[in-house]
Amino acid sequence: MSTADRRGGRVFVLVGGGQAASVAARTLRRSGYDGRLLVVGEEAGRPYQRPPLSKEYLESGDAAALELLPEAWTEQQSVEVRTGVRALKVSAPDGGVLLDDGSFIEADAVLLATGSRARRLPAFEAEGVFYLRTRADADALRTELRPGLHVVLVGGGFIGAELASVARARGAEVTLLEAAEVPLAQAIGARLGDACVRLQRAAGVDVRTNTMVQGIRREAGQLLVSTNQGQLEADLVVVGIGAVPNDEIAVDSGIAAGNGIWTDEFCRTSVERVFAAGDVASQLYPSRGDRLRVEHFDNASRQAAVAARNMLGELVPYDEPHWFWSDQFGSNLQYVGHASPTDRLVVRGDLEDDHWTAFFLDGDRVSATFAIDSGDDIALARELISMRVAVPEATLADPEADLFEALEEW
Amino acid sequence: MAAWHEVASLKDLQARRRLSVTVEGTPVALFWINGTVYALNDICIHEQRQLSKGAILFGKVVCPGHQWKFDPATGEPEDQDGCQPTYSVQVVDDAVSVSLERERAMS
Repeated sequence: MSTADRRGGRVFVLVGGGQAASVAARTLRRSGYDGRLLVVGEEAGRPYQRPPLSKEYLESGDAAALELLPEAWTEQQSVEVRTGVRALKVSAPDGGVLLDDGSFIEADAVLLATGSRARRLPAFEAEGVFYLRTRADADALRTELRPGLHVVLVGGGFIGAELASVARARGAEVTLLEAAEVPLAQAIGARLGDACVRLQRAAGVDVRTNTMVQGIRREAGQLLVSTNQGQLEADLVVVGIGAVPNDEIAVDSGIAAGNGIWTDEFCRTSVERVFAAGDVASQLYPSRGDRLRVEHFDNASRQAAVAARNMLGELVPYDEPHWFWSDQFGSNLQYVGHASPTDRLVVRGDLEDDHWTAFFLDGDRVSATFAIDSGDDIALARELISMRVAVPEATLADPEADLFEALEEW
Repeated sequence: MAAWHEVASLKDLQARRRLSVTVEGTPVALFWINGTVYALNDICIHEQRQLSKGAILFGKVVCPGHQWKFDPATGEPEDQDGCQPTYSVQVVDDAVSVSLERERAMS
């Protein structure tokens, strides 16, 4: 079907081949948008989801399970997927996207969902040093991960822990280096961070804190990792020290950006009819009075769904509690909300056990919740956080109390 | 003609709200939601977690693994593709029976 045959005659371009662009495409079609719809992604190949890259996919290599926009669906829905091409610039006011193959696509609305990339340091580059962001990265790493290897992981975040889990499952010796005193402390506080480190150590991971990596080099077939605590030898190193937003397209287009593309609560950028969502979006939250850029799968999905509706002319704010999960060492970790360092911690269960839930309280309201193998509590916490209701601390702390029954009364 | 398997006591399900049972080797999650018994395949279509360990919130079943929300009557996940298999349920006195036939049996 040619463009001219389509009713409405509109053209929407979704820049980015990841979760946010894919959810936006599905939301637009599900909402009845019947204009031309293009997904433009820089990475070659069909759009895929990233969370399994540090988990199941790294172990199994099952590519079919990653697929986000199967060809059968995009054909049936007339969604044009163009990958392996980089969008350079959005031009306003005529509204179009310039691609690095020289083509220009006129568009009535554009979604910038270019995601983020691994933060790389020049001092941390050598043969045998890996970063994990793309499917190709995961494939390369899977080929190299073998039993008996000594793997050094730089960075004790959730990705580092997931990599440690897979590497241990593959029979590697694993040393995890973390610059801070307690891994994950910035995300979940020192007490819960310590509980997560217990999981890692119980699985045989050598976790070394207060260890700052200064450089990695290769000498005589061996990787040498120099730190403030001395030098380590490694067969393989994976660096997981955060991500950087792919916001160059905004900068080059004169769209407001700075650690991500700035949007309001309706996912609108500083340029009319140009929206942003996912890892690259730094959204204003009026309820918080500041901006947040969130690098999680669920945020990419929900924010992009809201952006898609607003591309269609609605005015829906995005203000849902952020949620993420991590699967590691046979346990399922989940976090919802946004805690401040001053929030009180109320633990339901015992942090020494294999499952528990920890609520962060700001005054008498739940601001965030972190749990191990207690996904049902997280479902409840998500409601508590959105509803912003006062919650009796004693009920939260009592493992015998039925929180779901209590929710109806709060 | 559907083959019915008696799998639980209604009183027990009402007290616990969710139960995990096995019917002809198939893991089935039973839920008591707003006065109705629902039966779904217990293994989440997303990442193989047990729905019977999930939450019941505002009439929906929430998988504990990755928070997929299912309509217990249709098995349809909210904002996701695919469908969790659902099964027919029959309640006679205190006996809850499940049939693996997809169609609701005439009664």
